Amino acid sequence: MSELAPSSVLRLAPGCRLNDAGGAEDLILIPEGALRLKGPGRAIVELCDGRRATREIVEELKRRYSSADAVRIETEVGALLARLRDRGVLEAV
Amino acid sequence: MKYTPRALIAEITHRCPLHCVYCSNPLEMQRRSAELPTESWISIFHQARELGVLQLHLTGGEPLSRPDLTELVGAGRKANLYLNLITSGVGLDGPRLDELIEAGLDHIQLSFQDSEEASANEFAGTRSHALKVRLAALIRERRIAFTINVVIHRRNIGRLEEMIAFAEHSGAQRLEIAHVQYYGWALRNRDALLPTREQLDRTVETVEAARERLKGRLRIEFVMPDYYARFPKPCMNGWGHQQMVIDPSGRVLPCHAAMVIPGLEFLSARNHPLRSIWEDSPVFNRFRDESWMPEPCRSCDRRTRDFGGCRCQAFLLAGDAAATDPVCTLAPTHTIVEEALQHINGSSDRTWVYRIDPR
Repeated sequence: MSELAPSSVLRLAPGCRLNDAGGAEDLILIPEGALRLKGPGRAIVELCDGRRATREIVEELKRRYSSADAVRIETEVGALLARLRDRGVLEAV
Repeated sequence: MKYTPRALIAEITHRCPLHCVYCSNPLEMQRRSAELPTESWISIFHQARELGVLQLHLTGGEPLSRPDLTELVGAGRKANLYLNLITSGVGLDGPRLDELIEAGLDHIQLSFQDSEEASANEFAGTRSHALKVRLAALIRERRIAFTINVVIHRRNIGRLEEMIAFAEHSGAQRLEIAHVQYYGWALRNRDALLPTREQLDRTVETVEAARERLKGRLRIEFVMPDYYARFPKPCMNGWGHQQMVIDPSGRVLPCHAAMVIPGLEFLSARNHPLRSIWEDSPVFNRFRDESWMPEPCRSCDRRTRDFGGCRCQAFLLAGDAAATDPVCTLAPTHTIVEEALQHINGSSDRTWVYRIDPR
C-alpha cells in the first residue's frame, strides 16, 4: 500500500457506489459484492466527490468530529482512502 | 430468518447464440414460450430487494436475446439493486450499450473463450470472437465497470499468458479466470476439458506472476479447480445462505444446477412469493443447516467454511446429494475423483459434443 498524497483527488470508480443511506448497514456495492463501511466510513467516502483533495476531506472531518484526536483522524482517513484506492474502489481524478 | 439473500442470479433466457462445449446450463433447457414476461421479472426484483438482495446478475443463456433487457435493467435499478450483466456480447452494439448504461447498468462481464480467434470460435461453436474484441473497445470508451471472463480448460490453458495480456490491454478492471464447472453439458465433455495436473501447476505460476506485475491495474480472480483441490469449494457460500437463482420459467433454485437433484420440488416465483420460497420451502431448507451432513462432514472443522461442498456434484458423481462432495480428499467416495483424474492425466486428445439451442 503506497502513501496517499494530501493533494490527491479521489472519486468512486465506475461500478462502485454507496448503498442507500439510512439502511441497516453502510455498504459500497462493487462488481464482485459489497464492502462494509464502519463508523464514519460512509461520510468519508461521500466526501470523495472528485473535487475535494484528501487534505480537505481530512480538514472537513476534523471540523465534524472536533472532539476526536486530530492526528488519529488524519491517520485513519488516510488509511481508509489508500485501502479503497488500492482495492480499485476509489480512483484518482 | 438467519439467512439473508444478497444476490439474485436471474437467468432471463436459456436462448444463446453460442454453443460452448463447457456450458454448465441444465441439459433440459427452458424454451422461449416458457420464459417469464417482463412484469413478472420486475415484481421479482422488488421482492428480492425487500428480502435483502443487493445485487442482480442478469444472465442466461444470453440476456441480450431478450428485447426487454433495457427495461429489466431500468426496473432493477429502480428496485435499488446493483445491476450486473453477464454476457457473451452477441447482440450488443454501441447504441444498445449506451441504452443499458443509461438505464442504470453498473457492471458488464464479457466472456471470452480464448485469446486466439480460431480456437475461441471453435469452443463457442460460433464465430463470435472478433465481435467480442470490438465490443471490448466500445466498453472501454464508456464509464462502466468492466470484467473479462475467460473459461479455461485443457485445450486453451496453455495460452493463459496471452489471455492475460489481452485483458490487460482491453481496459477491463478485472479478469476472471474461471475453470469449467462440471455440470450440465460440461460434465458430458469433462474428459476432453479437464486440465492435467502439469498444466495447472504452470497456470498457478503464471497467475501469481501476472498478479504481481499488474497490481493496481488489473485484478485477477482465479481459484484452483475443485477436482484438484484438497477440500471442496464452498458452493454458493452455502445452500440457501446468500444467493438464489431463478431460471427462465420462474423456478427458484438454491443454485443453477440444483434441478439435477431428484426428489426436490422447485417452486415458481410465478405463483409463490419469493419470501416464502426463500424462508419456508423444503427445497431451500433441505441442505441449509448441518442436520443433513454425513460423516466426515458432521464432525469436520471445515464444515462451517465449505458446507460439505457442492450438493449437485455429490449427486452427479456419487449418486447421493446428501453425501460429502467427492472432490473432498476426506470423502469416502473420493476414489471416483481420483479415478477420473488418473484417466485424464494418462490420456491424450479426446473429442467433445456440441449442444444445440432450445427453440
